[in-house]
Parts: sequence; C-alpha cells; structure tokens
Amino acid sequence: MTTPVANGAAPRTPHAPVIEVASAGIRFRRNRGGRRSFKDLLSGSSRRARPDDFWPLRDVSFTVAPGEAIGVVGRNGQGKSTLLKLVAQVVLPDEGSVVVRGGVAPLIEITGAFVDDLTVRDNVFLTAGLHGMPRKEIAERFDEIIAFAEIGGFVDTPYKHLSSGMKARLAFSVISRLEEPILLVDEVLAVGDRGFREKCYARIDELLAGGRTLFFVSHSEKDLRRFCTRGLYLNKGSLVLDGPIEAVLEQYASDTKV
Amino acid sequence: MTSAVVEVRTTVRSTGFKRYRETLWLLTARDLRVRYSTSALGYFWSILDPLVMAGIYWFVFTQVFKRDVGEEPYIVFLLSALLPWMWFNGAVSDSTRAFLREAKLVRSTNIPRTIWVGRLVLSKGIEYLFSLPVLAVFAILGGASLTGWIVLFPLALLIQTILTVGIGLIVAPLVVFFRDIERAVKLMLRFLFYASPIVYSASDLPQSLHAWSALNPLTGLFALYRSMFFERELDWFLVGGSIVVSVALLLVGLLVFSRSERALLKEI
Repeated sequence: MTTPVANGAAPRTPHAPVIEVASAGIRFRRNRGGRRSFKDLLSGSSRRARPDDFWPLRDVSFTVAPGEAIGVVGRNGQGKSTLLKLVAQVVLPDEGSVVVRGGVAPLIEITGAFVDDLTVRDNVFLTAGLHGMPRKEIAERFDEIIAFAEIGGFVDTPYKHLSSGMKARLAFSVISRLEEPILLVDEVLAVGDRGFREKCYARIDELLAGGRTLFFVSHSEKDLRRFCTRGLYLNKGSLVLDGPIEAVLEQYASDTKV
Repeated sequence: MTSAVVEVRTTVRSTGFKRYRETLWLLTARDLRVRYSTSALGYFWSILDPLVMAGIYWFVFTQVFKRDVGEEPYIVFLLSALLPWMWFNGAVSDSTRAFLREAKLVRSTNIPRTIWVGRLVLSKGIEYLFSLPVLAVFAILGGASLTGWIVLFPLALLIQTILTVGIGLIVAPLVVFFRDIERAVKLMLRFLFYASPIVYSASDLPQSLHAWSALNPLTGLFALYRSMFFERELDWFLVGGSIVVSVALLLVGLLVFSRSERALLKEI
C-alpha cells in the first residue's frame, strides 16, 4: 500500500541530512597472503595499525540533504565504489561512522540478487522483497516492472535463459521501482542499448523530480552534468573537493591533464 | 538551486523485527522453492533421504549385529533421533557455505547478516517437520504409542534452534577466513554422529560417561525428542546440560559473528 507522507508530518525536516558520513575510513590488508589469526580477526576494530594496512578511503566527511543529486568523480581505484558501498551499508567502516536515514535503492551489482533457477516472476518478488517491499505492493507494480524491462513474454522463463541485456533491464526496472528515498547508481547505465539507456535516464529524472536523493558514480561528464548539482572529488582515498558539480569537474579535468 | 518543496513519496516499510522476520521467511521460501523446483521428486527427497538412512541403520543394527541397546520398536527409537540429527547435520554443514555460496547477494543487500545463518536453520527445520510423517507411519506400524511428554516437543525444537543457530554463527563467518574449517566441521559432524545417542540410548553409556555426555548438547536434546515415545529416555540432568550448552554456544556465536562481520564483508 502506498501512503504518501505529508511533508509536515514527516519526522525529518527537508534540511536534516539523509546521509551523514563522518571521518569514515575503511582498511584492507595490502598483502592477502599475510597470515590472519583468530586473535587478529576477533580483537575488534580498534587494534593497532599494521604496516601492511591499506586505506582505500580515509577521513571522508560530508552530509547530504534530502533531494540532493550528488556525483562522485575520481580516477579508477580512488575509492568511489567503496564510498558507494559504505552508503549502501554493504560494507561497514573501520573508522568513523556512516549514518543513512531512510531506505536505499542500490543500483550496484544489481543482478546479484537474482537466482538462475527461478522464473522471472519469482525473482521479481524475491529481489523486491529482499529490499523490503511488501508483497502486496510488488503485486501491484509487477506489470509495470515487466513492461519497463520490455520482457513481457518471459515472465515464466527461468532467469538463466534471459539474455544479458534482458537481465540488466529487469534488474534496473526492479530496483528503480523500490520507491526508496535514496538512489545509488554505480555506472550500471553502461549496460543496455541506447534506447534503454535513455529510458533509464528518464526514470532517474522522474525519481529526482519526485524528491529522491541521488548518489551517482560515473566517468561520463555529460551524465554527471545532466543529473547532479553537487560533486565529490575523491583522490587517493580522501575527499579532495566537495562543491558544485561544475567546479569539481573542472578541478578533476585539470588534475588529470597529461 | 535546490527546490524548496521536497515531495518524497515514501511507502510504508516494515522495520525492525518484522522486517527481519519477513526477510528470513523470504529467503527460506526461496531455498525450499529452489530445492523443490529443480528436482523432479521434490518433496519426496525430504522423506526418501531419512527413509534410506533409517533403512540402513535398521538393517545393520537389527539384522546383522545382535543389538542390546535402544528400545523397541527400534525403528521408531532410531528415527526419533535420526530425523532431528539430519536437521542439525544439514544446517551445520550448509552453514560452512552460508556466505561463500551467496556472496553476490550478501554484497548487494544490507539485510541483517545473521539472516544468512538463520535461514539455513529454518529451511532445514521445515524439512525436518516435513519428514515427521515418516516417523508417524512407523510409530503406527510398530505399535509405539505417544506419551504425555509430547508436550515437550516445542521445547526440543527451541533448544535445537538455539543450538544450531549458535554453531552456525560461529562456523559461517570463520570459514570465510579459514577454509580448513569447512573440512574440520565435516569431520566433527561424522564424529558427533556416533558420539551422540542416535543409534543407541544415552542410558546405554557406561555410568562413568554420564556426566560427560551432558556436555554434548545433542545428548539431552535427543533424550527430549525420544521421551515422546519412550518415557524412560527422559533425563532432566542431560536436558539441563543441553540447555546450558546451547545457550552458551548461541552467546559465543553472536559474539564471534559481531566481531568478524566487518572483516567478513570485505572478504567476500
């Protein structure tokens, strides 16, 4: 059931941040071959630093107000995806904190939740359900989801028999219908043909117009300009610049100039 | 400029415990659906598996060896512990792959991570309940009658759930870091099968082992299950030991799990 929440009645005011990241950091071990001991594993997060530690992201702080559209830029391996995973809460920070108020619709590894052996129908119910959508609501939106993904004739086909384009379309369709207040997008729009990409863009525009918060990772300046108003520039695991998207793109361009 | 009017159409999402329960149920239903939709015999495997096992042990212990342990009818005695054992065995050995098998799914959803263990225990538990008709049929054929202790059946289910979840919470995250544990667990389970009163009764153990056997939580648990047919099997000392050890294992499991969760999510 869809219950529109009147703005005044909502517990949060429009300017209370929906995402609060405070000096967050995440640590990996540089040397995977290094022996790990039980003591190491269970001694909690406050253990002393080790020389072979590597921080893909460290001391990153920012807040996001509801309805903001944020683009994350940076070269490969500078922590963009890690940041997105922190916000999606599929990894936990080793330092600092990440607070996310409200549900998240993550377009990261979107096909991950689908099961090869089950039909498209079962998969839609399963994936949407795992992201917290009530069964009745899924049933109401089912036709809409299938129509958007353009796989009308394959509702009872096992998922594994779909083409990879169909899989990506279905995944985008399900996740983008979750009606969650925060949308995370990680370069998934590179999949699919141009026609479908345009449809995805239109859908994101629609969600943004509806007041959703967008967190967008991309290498495409065009896309970043199209959706985002604010940019975060990550370099070597730290947040170098947080400002209007134009300024961020400019600095990124001048930094990467050969 | 950001617009001043923010209109977010949110939908009612269940939170907390209700969300946990719904997600747990969803994944369990998925497990069962995958298992039953990918095999032609479907549900009958839930019956066939214990039936063949029981057949083998029945043949060995009543036809080949001269048996002076257990109670009559032996097949009922055997099944009343063998079926819960298969639940325990199945859930614990599956928990070694709880995160490895579902890595993609764990990476893409932020549901409470203990669900990955809970759903294994629940789906194996449901299979156990599905297999109970086998026991009922043999009880009727063998002329075994229920005792009043059947009221303890829910307690037995509860203890077994606590015990299995506890062990699962210890095993599942550790296997991700130490793959050897997978082999070790398989070996331990084989040992436990004979170290627990399944083909024999707890009262068949030498008196000197009685106190020690209470340390094995399965001993008291199986005594409890068996008391619904065989009153003599109920031994409150063993049941008490089983409860204490099970709860302790659950607490250790929760601790291990919460301590290793952070590293676990990075590893898979």
